Amino acid sequence: MKYLNFAYRWVGTTLFWIFFGLIGLFMGFVVFPLLSVFVWDGRKRQVAARKLISAAFSLFVWVACSSRLISIRVTGMEHVDPRGGQLILATHPTLIDVVILISLFPQVDCVIKEAVTKNPVLGISVRLANYISNREPADLLDSCVQRLESGASLLLFPSGTREVNGQPLRFKLGAAEVAVRARASILPVALSCKSQMLAKHVPWYRIPPSAPRFKITVLPPIAVENLTTGDVDQRHARYQVNDALVSLFDAELS
Amino acid sequence: MESEALYTTIKEILVTQFEVDESAISRDANLYEELEIDSIDAVDLLVQLKELTGKKISPDVFKDVRTIGDVLDALTVL
Repeated sequence: MKYLNFAYRWVGTTLFWIFFGLIGLFMGFVVFPLLSVFVWDGRKRQVAARKLISAAFSLFVWVACSSRLISIRVTGMEHVDPRGGQLILATHPTLIDVVILISLFPQVDCVIKEAVTKNPVLGISVRLANYISNREPADLLDSCVQRLESGASLLLFPSGTREVNGQPLRFKLGAAEVAVRARASILPVALSCKSQMLAKHVPWYRIPPSAPRFKITVLPPIAVENLTTGDVDQRHARYQVNDALVSLFDAELS
Repeated sequence: MESEALYTTIKEILVTQFEVDESAISRDANLYEELEIDSIDAVDLLVQLKELTGKKISPDVFKDVRTIGDVLDALTVL
């Protein structure tokens, strides 16, 4: 029976990636070009593009969950401020975390690799959605702060890349720096995956012995001032916030 | 700005703002490993140097910068 389930999930996962790819191609070559032809207003374009991306990601999540390739448990969504303005900081164990998170937070801002903006299929979607490109290190921090100050919610993975299983959590200081500069309200999202797939250094076709179980816990928002001693300069504040965040996530995930 | 003057400026920024021990600073000192400045400090340093010299280090060059000498090279070559 276990063997049968494994075989089912192997075939299912392969079919899922084909479906994922086809929808991606359809969005990249039909849906988003149409959007760029018919919607000219930058603001409306951004909102529509993000809605479409989120809808596609929700579809992927729904297909993967309803065919039991993965399971997802989400708690704490009541902590999300629908008006925005929150700095959403999430842990990042797998390749599909962002798909799940964007399905949960449709209009959120995020930072993407510069290479993605130039990708022939994905480029148009992220350009229309007006996500932040990571090209210029100095501008990147400024853009993140500006977006938050203008009232948008911003999603960052403070690890900067996928965390490696079994190693202690270490965050890059960028997220803490953005939090300090924007005096942000931080929404911590502890995302973990049992029976993990799509980890760093693991190819997509190597599936685990049982279906991956994602657990997403949205924690109550924290004002950044509450993570520092208050009388410190920006540089020290950054370290204090970073240390506080690592302890917070360690406690939640252990 | 002359390379020597630039070196002095960088040294000054490192000591006064990033609390780096002056005796540890040399042209060959690795910013991240030996001087223990973090990537945000590095960006901060570049922004300040840009304001002082009017020269900008491109992100591609910045990625390969490891030592103070690399910073000087990047700023004087351009």
